[in-house]
Amino acid sequence: MAADGARQWWIRPAIRLGAAALLPVAVPAVITGLIWALPGDPASLICPPEICSGTEQLAARWNLDQGPVHFFLSWLSDAASGDFGKSWRIQQGSPVTPLLLTAIPHTAALVGLALSLLLAGALGAATRVLPARADSLLSAVGLIPTVVMSLAAAAAVSINYGASAFDAEAVRVKILLGALALGLADSALAGAARGVRSIFESERQRRYVQMGILRGEGVLSNAWPNAAPAIAGQMRARTLHLLSGAVVVEVVLQIEGLGDLLWSGTLAQDFGVVLAATFGFALLSGSLLLAQAAVEIAVAMHVRRSPPVREVAA
Amino acid sequence: MTRGRWLLALLALVFAASWVVPGFFAEPHLPDPDLMKRLAPPSEMPPFGADDRGRPLLNYALQGAQVVGIPALVAGLLVALLGVVGGLLATVGGGRVEGAVAAVGELLGALPRMVVVLVVALLVPRDARGLMPIALTWAILAAPGAMDEAAAVAGRLGGAAFVEALRAHGFSRSRILLYHVVGLNLRPVVVRQGAETMMQVVFLEIALSYLAIAERQGSFTHSDDIHSWASLLDLGYKVVLDLPSWHALGLGLGLIAMVAVTAVTASAAARAR
Repeated sequence: MAADGARQWWIRPAIRLGAAALLPVAVPAVITGLIWALPGDPASLICPPEICSGTEQLAARWNLDQGPVHFFLSWLSDAASGDFGKSWRIQQGSPVTPLLLTAIPHTAALVGLALSLLLAGALGAATRVLPARADSLLSAVGLIPTVVMSLAAAAAVSINYGASAFDAEAVRVKILLGALALGLADSALAGAARGVRSIFESERQRRYVQMGILRGEGVLSNAWPNAAPAIAGQMRARTLHLLSGAVVVEVVLQIEGLGDLLWSGTLAQDFGVVLAATFGFALLSGSLLLAQAAVEIAVAMHVRRSPPVREVAA
Repeated sequence: MTRGRWLLALLALVFAASWVVPGFFAEPHLPDPDLMKRLAPPSEMPPFGADDRGRPLLNYALQGAQVVGIPALVAGLLVALLGVVGGLLATVGGGRVEGAVAAVGELLGALPRMVVVLVVALLVPRDARGLMPIALTWAILAAPGAMDEAAAVAGRLGGAAFVEALRAHGFSRSRILLYHVVGLNLRPVVVRQGAETMMQVVFLEIALSYLAIAERQGSFTHSDDIHSWASLLDLGYKVVLDLPSWHALGLGLGLIAMVAVTAVTASAAARAR
């Protein structure tokens, strides 16, 4: 059974690599399908016939006149050259690329900071620097939903900055407080600490780690290769959780990020913006899948290169 | 200890039900404004005070319960049910199905859930807005995790070997699966997963409605003439603008705490033996 598992080590990384390659194509394809699935002509979403004339010319100008496949393929080829199309409603006719270029750094900073909080918690749990009794406190804090934590952060910004809440300094504070809210709310930090602690505590009980300790080696260096795939999986799930929460944090704190852009696009049925924002999220999600697959492959290679442990017959 | 946990969970459930059930009989519209009672505190307009137009906050709380009640329950039950299926598959040795579930879970879980939810929200026509499609989407996205965890629990039991061992003791297959596997071993996992999903759906509704209020738009989760618990948070948040709406903030946060406590106590009670 274990030998089968060892032989089939490549299946999960292969699924992840396949999904990573598929996501950035599949997500815009689904959104394109959605545009044509909605009742009415897609061009009427840009400008309803009640207030617009010349819908046919409009459809031709926006590449909507030759069906979903043509629209999708031309959008994808433009996207490959860095042109993500135009906004349909929010800033009608303006290119979406500058909006994305403004949004991505804010989201990256927000999620990056929140993720570093989670990584610190995970490292603390793995090394027992963060004691197990802290888990109850983190879990209690983690019951608070992201929207409530974000509101508290927004209140703090509003009280301290008032009308100048969009100054560079205030934006930095918003991102910092937003990251704190994102990291603590909805059990993000609690889940990361608990999950990593559970993995490392079960590894600590294994004989190879105990032997390593007797030889004077560290626990982490011994347990890491075995724990790495599970931790990579957990961290990917946590990062996705942070990206999901980023939508709420960005809207409440008025941070011009990818989540805020997606939310505005969804509310306004601006498919130009929704396509680009979901494509951005799909790329990020695909990169996370690639990273997890890379960790799994590296660990599998390490295991194959290491001398096999042979059981000695009693 | 065990009896205490059950009692606590029962109290929390009864308390939560005392909000949700009357919600279904709540008036579809808020009463007419009475500006004389604007932001009246609970002492002047029991039990929770009034909003900025003098309408009772009790109506907000009941309408909000109506919005989340059934969809959260259905989502929680769906996740719990699929968790049981995942656990049973691991017990009866459905290796291929398990593999397929893991692969589907991998693909479903590859995107941030909020992104998927917003795409689903785009699909729902404006006049058919409601929390149910979003809650079901959330449940489907949460189900692979629940199935995985339940399968791990069943795997620790010994999977198919556990069933065979109990069969050798003379137990019937259905008793082993329903009582020993589901009732005694999967119960803590599936109840916790179900309770967490219910809580997440309620919090998701509050978040989506709050974001819509922040942008002065209608919510995806309910029609415009109904108010979500997010309206209480929105009104309460205005204390930052020196509006005396602490009572709305307290009620909004209290309702959120009630949902969280109910989910936690239900999970704890299911864990108790």
